[in-house]
Amino acid sequence: MTVAERLPEPSNPLGLDGVEFVEYATSRPQAFGALLEQLGFSPVARHRSREVTLYRQGTMNLIVNAHEARTATPRLAAIALRVRDAGYAHRRSLELGAWDMPTRAAEMELVIPGIRGVGDSLVYFVDRYRDFSIYDVDFVRLAGADPQPPALAGLHYFGLVQAILPERTADWVDFYRTLFGFAVLPEGTSFGVLPDGTLLESPCRRFYLQLVEPPPAVADDVRWDEALVRLALGAPDVPKAIAALRARGIVFVDRGRVQPSERGALTQAYLGGVSFELVASDLAS
Amino acid sequence: MNLERFGMDTVTLAGSLETKLAAMRQAGFSQVMLSSADLVAHPGGEQAAIAAVRSSGLRVTGLQVLRDFEGLAGPLHAWKVDVAKAMLALCRAVGAPLLLACSSTSAHASGDPAQLVADLRKLATLAVPLNIRIAYEALSWGRHVSDFAQACELVEQADRANLGVALDSFHLLAAGTPLEALDGIDPQKLFFVQLSDFLWQETRTRDDRIETARHYRVFPGEGAHWERLAELVRRVDAMGYGGDWSFEVFNDDYRSLPPAMVAERARRAAARVASLVPGRSLPLRRRSRCAARA
Repeated sequence: MTVAERLPEPSNPLGLDGVEFVEYATSRPQAFGALLEQLGFSPVARHRSREVTLYRQGTMNLIVNAHEARTATPRLAAIALRVRDAGYAHRRSLELGAWDMPTRAAEMELVIPGIRGVGDSLVYFVDRYRDFSIYDVDFVRLAGADPQPPALAGLHYFGLVQAILPERTADWVDFYRTLFGFAVLPEGTSFGVLPDGTLLESPCRRFYLQLVEPPPAVADDVRWDEALVRLALGAPDVPKAIAALRARGIVFVDRGRVQPSERGALTQAYLGGVSFELVASDLAS
Repeated sequence: MNLERFGMDTVTLAGSLETKLAAMRQAGFSQVMLSSADLVAHPGGEQAAIAAVRSSGLRVTGLQVLRDFEGLAGPLHAWKVDVAKAMLALCRAVGAPLLLACSSTSAHASGDPAQLVADLRKLATLAVPLNIRIAYEALSWGRHVSDFAQACELVEQADRANLGVALDSFHLLAAGTPLEALDGIDPQKLFFVQLSDFLWQETRTRDDRIETARHYRVFPGEGAHWERLAELVRRVDAMGYGGDWSFEVFNDDYRSLPPAMVAERARRAAARVASLVPGRSLPLRRRSRCAARA
């Protein structure tokens, strides 16, 4: 007779190992691409059959997807998590109650498994990031482009900000804890210059999520949907990064409580509403 | 207690969805508990039903009912997950912030508490991205989960923010469950309360209880158990319950009478129940979790 042992799950059940790429959707890929280049990214490859471009700087891969994009303002459409075994991560997520993503790979394209995230966004699982890259299959390198452009001022992925509806923090904490093993950081922990909400740390401790409910005073006419709303870039020396980005024309918010500082900074909203955040971070080292 | 917190179930009334909604409005109700059949069996199709609900001005309390979800294995489980997803999508489409899920009556369902907990967690996780809450209700003829305390225990073990219990007074009254079963319940985990009575003192067998539940329920104050029902209401109110109340009344006679007349009886029942806890300052209702605007 065998007795099922009730053993605790490992704290990192998927073998999460940071972010492979972040994907934006926009119907204005050229304008957004120009903004990304100001932020230090370079276009390195384009998709074989769709209007999709891969940008890169340092360790960050960023995909701009104009294929069937519905809005001009760039929208955070997906995050791809590095995991030990993408197939396992996908199966386990579905088993625990995730919604499968719609299949969209065309013939001869790599199938990247994924699930639905907040709003219209997706969460992909990628396990080919060491010896073999997913971009080798679906993307064509741009002639003359440096395939590994260095990071500006040590910039690296730090986290994502997710807007949620009132009284929804506990629901989303359950979601990220159950499916990926994220943990809530103690109250009072904060990064950057926008400390509102609840901070979640990935089990690999290389990536953060910030859940933000609408502030109580938010006006009735302000639209507040659940969505990924902002990408945070880590910088080992924020003032140095601010100076480097300003020199490239990036404008930072410097009014009210949001002031550029050693802790972080917030860019102005570009292209109808996309902004980026800088956060003091040594995650890259 | 304030009448704003009471709603009717569409299952009580005869007629089209539009007729039912109009009768509820006319009687002074501001919310409605929908059945999935209201939407999918609408002659104009699901979209027409959703439009009718939206234009009625009634707030949707929730949608019923997901049956026999927990405890299944293999292809049965996979199939039921698809059913659950479709019902969650219906909730989202019609603006229902809550899905009522009843304890399984299936002969194929396992009673292993660990599996029941895992399945409830899965249902709760499926509901998170859609912003739906799951209210789990013990049917008194459930195969493995047949009383309120059991449902509370599983919900507590599952420990998911969007998973709570639904309390249907019929099952407590019909099964003779002591009202002490309500003691110690976290009011935050009580997501929904359904009130009804029935016309005779006792239901003698399980089949008698099912028959009574499906055909002979009446509004509070019209049945044989008003005193116990009143005590249940007082206890629920005293624990600090701040959610919605609805009348879960299945009655063949009521489905043979003009909806306006039945809705008026429901309104009188709501006033009767509200008068049980006068003077209490009630917490504000939770903000609508489906609101796209804040």
